[in-house]
Formats: sequence, C-alpha cells, structure tokens
Amino acid sequence: MRLAVIVQRYGAELNGGAELHARYVAEHLARHAEIEVLTTCATDYITWRNELNPGVEQVNGVPVRRFPVSRERDAHEFGQRSTVVFEEPHSVAAELAWLRSEGPTSPSLVNHLRRHGDTYDYCLFFSYRYYHAYHGIRVTGPRALLVPTAERDPALGLHIFGGGFRSVRALMYNSYEERALINAVAKNDDVPGVVVGIGSEVPAHPEPQRFRQATGIEGPVLIYVGRIDENKGCRELFDYFQRYARLSPQLSLVLIGNPVMPIPEHPRIRHLGYVTDQEKFDALAAADLLVMPSQYESLSMVTLEAWALSRPVLVNGRCDVLCGQCIRSNGGLYYENYEEFAETLNAIVSNSSLRDALGTNGRAYFNAHYTWSVIERKYLDMLDRLEREEAQPARRPEPLPGWFGRRRRDLPPSRQVVDRLPTGPAHRTSGASAGRSVSDA
Amino acid sequence: MAEFNIQSDSVDVTRIMEQIRQRIQEKRGRDYTEQQIRELATVKLERFLDPKQVRSDLVEHYRQLEPPAALAPPTEERPSPPPETFNFDEDTIYASSRGTMGKLIRLIRKLLSPIIKLFFNLNAIVFALSRQSEINTWTLQLLQQQADLAERVTQRAGEKFVAREELDALNYEVLNNLVVEMTRLSVDMKNHRSLVESVAGRLDFDERRARALESVVQSRSPQPSQGDDGESAPSTGSGRTRRRRRRSRRRPGTATTLDGPGTPTNAATETGAQGETAQPASNRATLQAEPATSSPVPPPRQDTALPAAPATDPSAVSPAPTTPVPEAAPARDPAPPTPPTGASSVDSPAAPTPSEGGAPASATAPAAEPVAAPSTASTPSTTSSMGDAGTDEQ
Repeated sequence: MRLAVIVQRYGAELNGGAELHARYVAEHLARHAEIEVLTTCATDYITWRNELNPGVEQVNGVPVRRFPVSRERDAHEFGQRSTVVFEEPHSVAAELAWLRSEGPTSPSLVNHLRRHGDTYDYCLFFSYRYYHAYHGIRVTGPRALLVPTAERDPALGLHIFGGGFRSVRALMYNSYEERALINAVAKNDDVPGVVVGIGSEVPAHPEPQRFRQATGIEGPVLIYVGRIDENKGCRELFDYFQRYARLSPQLSLVLIGNPVMPIPEHPRIRHLGYVTDQEKFDALAAADLLVMPSQYESLSMVTLEAWALSRPVLVNGRCDVLCGQCIRSNGGLYYENYEEFAETLNAIVSNSSLRDALGTNGRAYFNAHYTWSVIERKYLDMLDRLEREEAQPARRPEPLPGWFGRRRRDLPPSRQVVDRLPTGPAHRTSGASAGRSVSDA
Repeated sequence: MAEFNIQSDSVDVTRIMEQIRQRIQEKRGRDYTEQQIRELATVKLERFLDPKQVRSDLVEHYRQLEPPAALAPPTEERPSPPPETFNFDEDTIYASSRGTMGKLIRLIRKLLSPIIKLFFNLNAIVFALSRQSEINTWTLQLLQQQADLAERVTQRAGEKFVAREELDALNYEVLNNLVVEMTRLSVDMKNHRSLVESVAGRLDFDERRARALESVVQSRSPQPSQGDDGESAPSTGSGRTRRRRRRSRRRPGTATTLDGPGTPTNAATETGAQGETAQPASNRATLQAEPATSSPVPPPRQDTALPAAPATDPSAVSPAPTTPVPEAAPARDPAPPTPPTGASSVDSPAAPTPSEGGAPASATAPAAEPVAAPSTASTPSTTSSMGDAGTDEQ
C-alpha cells in the first residue's frame, strides 16, 4: 500500500501540533505501508517563507518531498480578509481569497497531486484549514483522507470547507468533541470516521528524583508543559495560582516551554525553559499533577503523556475536548473559575487517594486508546475498510458555484455559524473504555 | 477534601465535580447573601429598634453610596492591534502580487498610464496617498505613546481600585457586624424591659398585701386585753411578750422598719412605703433565681381573714417606687408598737400574728426557697416573719 501524507510543514525539529502529529503518524505507518510525505519548503507558519530546499529528502527514514511556496503571507491582507469572512456577510470568492492569503500557497504541490495522485492508494491530509488540504482534497477525490485537527474557531464555519468534510473518503478525528463539531457544521455523518488521536512514546522508567535533585524543588508540584502564551490560558493560570498560593504556600508551579509572555516573579513559580524529552518526562513523573489551562485544544498530547505516567490532570473546563477527555477517562478534574480551580487543585494535592485513583484511571485510559499499537491499528482498520468498500461509487468533490455565484455575498459571518454549534463535552455511554464506568462517545 | 469517598476503580469525575461545586455553593451560602443583609438591615432593625433613632436602612444607604461600576471586576479586554501602515510610492499603483503574471500586468499598466493621465491627474492622487501614509505612521506612533501612558495610568488606578475594594470590604464587614450586634442588643433590651415590668407588678402586689395584713393586725391587737376569756388571756399575753422581745432585739441593728414612720430616706413613710423598702431585697433574690420568662405573680387569695387594703390607702394604688431604699439603711426606732386594741375571731394562739408587718407570705409562697437566701442583715428576719405569715395564712 502506498500512502501520501500531506502536511503544511514537516521536519524533525518542528514541534507544532499538527506537524508533529503528521510526523508521528508517518513514521509509525511506515512500518506497515510505503509512505511519502508531501509538504512545503516553509518552516515558519506565520510567513510561510521558503527556508528549505525543494526536492526529496529523508527525515527519520521517511521520504519527504518538498514544494516551494509561491507567495509569503501578507499579515495585513490576511487580517483584512479574515475580518471580512469571520465578521461580515461574504461570498465564496471572499473565502477563497482568504484561503490564498492564509497560505501556504503552493500550486506546485497541488499540481503534483493532480498529476501523480493516482500513484498513491490514499492521501492523508492534515489540517483542513490550509491551502494544501482544501485544493489537495479536490484534486485527489476518492483517495483523500483527512485528519482535520479542528478547533472551535471561526475558520470552521467557512462554507468552502463543508464540501471537503463531505467529499473525503474518511475522517480521522482527534476527539469525540471534534467529530461532533464537524458533523454539526458539515452534516457529514455518513462519511466514515473514527476517533484516533495520537500516541506518545513515554519512557518506561522516568526518574523523578533526578528532576528533584537537578532543580532543588521540594514539596508538591503543579506542572505546566507547553508554550507559555496568553492564548494558552497562561495569564489566567498565573492569576489563579498566585491567589491559591496565598492559601497553600507549599505548592510549586513548574513551567516547561518557551515563553511568549512575561512570567510573574513569584517564589513558588519556577520556569525551566525548553528541556529535553527525558527531562520533561522526569518532571512529569515528579509532579503531583499537570495543569492544562488552554481553552482551545484539539487533543493536548502532554495531557496524554501525564496520564501515561499515572499523573492526574487539571484542565480548563471551558475547553470541550479537555473536559470530555477528563470525564471519559476519569483521570482529571476541570475548572471554569477561580473557586473551582482552588477546590479541584486542593482536592488533588491534599487527597492522595484521589490523586492516585485519577492517575490510575488516566493511565488505563491512555493504554486503552492512545498507545501507538492502538493508533496504528485504528488507521490500518480504516484503510482495510476503505479497500473493502472500493466497489462503491466514489464520492466526487462538490463543484464550486459559477462566476457570478461565487461573488454573491449570501454567506453569513463564519463566527455566527460557529457560535451556533453545540457546545460541551460529548456524552455517550460506551463499554469500550478500559472497563470502567465512564462516559464515552 | 478528605471527605471524598475514593474507591480506586470507581472514581466518577462528574460526581466529584458536582460535590466540589456544591461545596462552593455552600461556602458562598455561609457568607451573608444580599437577601440576608437586606433582611438584617430592614426587617430586624425595624422590628426591634426605634426607627427614630437608628436608620434601619443603614446598610442599604451604604450600598447605594458605592458606585455600581466599582463592584464589577475590572475587565481586561484589550483592543485589537492596530493595522499595519502601508508604504505608498508612485510605483505602488502599478504593482501586482501575482508573481510572473504580475510583472506582465505591471508592464501593461505602465504602458497605459499616459492614457489614464488624460482623464485625471494621477500624480496628485499619488502625492496625497504618500502623504497620508506618512501621516498614518506619525499618528500610529502618537497613539502608541498615548496607549502606553494610558496603560500606566490604568495600572495605577487599578492598584488604587484594589486597595479601595479591600477597604470597602472591611468597612462593609464592620458595618454588618454592627448591625447584627445592635439587633442582638435590642432583643436583650426588650427582654430586660419585660422583666422589669414583671418585677414591678409583683412588687406592687406584695405591697398591697402587706398593707392588708398590717391593717388586720392593727384591728386585732386590742382584742386580748378587752376579752374576758381566761384561756385566751395568758396565751395572748405570752405571745405579745415574745413579739415584744423579738422586736426589741431587732430594733438596734435592723433596718426593716416596715411599719415605722421614721425611715429617713422616704418621705412617704406614713403611707407605708417602708414596707416597700425591705421587699425588693428579697424579691430581687427571687428574680435572680427565676428565668426571665417566669410566670407572673399569682393572684391574691380571697381570704375573709385577710381583707384587702383599704381603698383609701394611697399606697395601695400608688405605683411601686422606682428607687428602692437600701435595706441596710439605719432606721429610727419608731414609736412603741401600738397595743392591741381588739381581738379577731380567726386569731388563734397556735397561729402567730404577723406582728412586725412583714411581707405577705402568700406573695412569696411560690418562691419561698429563693427568698431564704440572705442578702442583707434585714433579710433573714423578714424571711422568718414571712414564713410565719405564710403559715398563719394557711
């Protein structure tokens, strides 16, 4: 079987969510199929500037074919077009112009798929919202599979993406909430889909004592791993923690990741900066719990890694995905305001039996759903299923309206569309979750 | 949080969150809610306090003085970043961003520019837009400076706002506690007032009873000397001797001159007000032992042998004195007791007559034990006479 993995950026040194996700999937599926990665020469997702050479190279044993980006992103133009399509009634042409301004505009990548797409059995696209995925799905048609990595942001409400969600052969979702969101916006319940997510390779024996000795941190530890950014909810986290620290001065907040916002000076807040994977896992194992304050997460790998190390998590309850994951796994608590933050944090830190139980449940949930063997099996099962359904008539991409139709400003602001979508964690009872009584979708 | 029942395999996050949220609700409920504060400030104060002296809506006024905006938490909304300024020169109007095709388009536009200039002056537009671009850049810098300044001012105002909020919270707490204490004190005052009224009522009754007994004694005293009964004369004589002896023994030190007119502290001794001077001491002891909600004084018994006080006696209808005379005050020895002038048909030798004009026994009968507690030097003798009177009455 020959598979193409198409993603906007690709490289061993890239740590972005969807890009890392694509690399992990490509490297693990390479054991079962012939994989070729199709991507751009860009490494910066803000400018899409061509920084790598076009052509084929090997990354961790996987062949990667790179295509140049024809135009860099003009931030001013992108901002203007975003305002038009997100906030105002607009046309299909405005959405297509928004897509071009967003990038990475690589017509050569799309032309390659148009000319050589039939040499692949299936084309696995990552991130629905970019140029390569939209046009790639249209040219590859029945061979297209999509890993949407969708969040509740206004781009999801754009009209042009609905056709892509309906015309792909299958969708590989990250979470049940993501599936509910896409089903609601695109009415694509009949398209085969499975909630897969992403696995993680966690060392079997991390050494928490090494972390304690290296950092000199004593007492209970609350850890955050990720980009220290206001968009990730870190400002709220700092505020809540400082208020909580007045009541419980023993607890330390350890931050791992690159900061893009100032970190408050506080005796109980320790910023360790960028660390190696081994150090990260040591820190996670040494911590009492992980906090994930972000409101916009499609999966949160670090949450899964904490569960893999039997550590409970405390997440932002306003994030449907994280809240749903906690409910399904029974591996963490969630908060929506300071009172809940203080109570839940105190519950986990002060109650060792609760902490252990949550950690045990999280580990069981990880083992049942997010080990690489499980992830690989879900991908292979889906590909087998699609092969068996090959006899059915192939779906055709929905045609774009004509010249005048494309310019008719009859589409609502996409933010309105997204605001009308259902919210909250996905609840449905299933017996497939590690044999415990949890809500699952 | 130790009250969570954790069974390792059956942790239900949803249930735990429900418990946590319920606890948060309970914590909030422990504080005073708006409704409770309003009730404290209006209903209770109006019910127990004098509205002319205390503003029952004190808390309400206090709350109204606070600006509503100050109660809202400071918002942290920030305006979106300003759009980027653009560079504009005379080539901009011919430029295109379509790569190779753009170069061709630019060439065509250049070629056609002389034709365009036939219709209007393009240079004026280019000049105006270039100048506008510079103005935009300058304006942006100015706005940035203003924004920095505003941010600093806002930060300082925010600090003051936080300090003010904390002070307001303290003031509010103090005020709230004051309201609660005032309410409690008003309730106590109400109870004490009813207690005093009860004591006054009892005292009044005792006084009337004492007068009735005195009048009975006075009317009976001459009876033994006028009688011819040989049996009754010795016993009566010996009884009088005992009474005299007892009276003379008490005279120098005791102040219970209940029937004497010489009490220096009360001008109304002639009306029997001295009887009231001794009574409060014993009655006070009784009331101290009784709860505040003790039953009122029992009604006087209708005994034919103990007629009510004469209607002409002013003390029988006068209110109880508001300032009792000290029990230990020395009293001048009154005139020698009036000799008995008459006998009573109900008098018997075995039942001694309340000769010293002690308090009526019937009034103290329900509370005989507390009365026995010695409070002053005069109290024991009064008690003993009251005991006799009680026996006599029964």
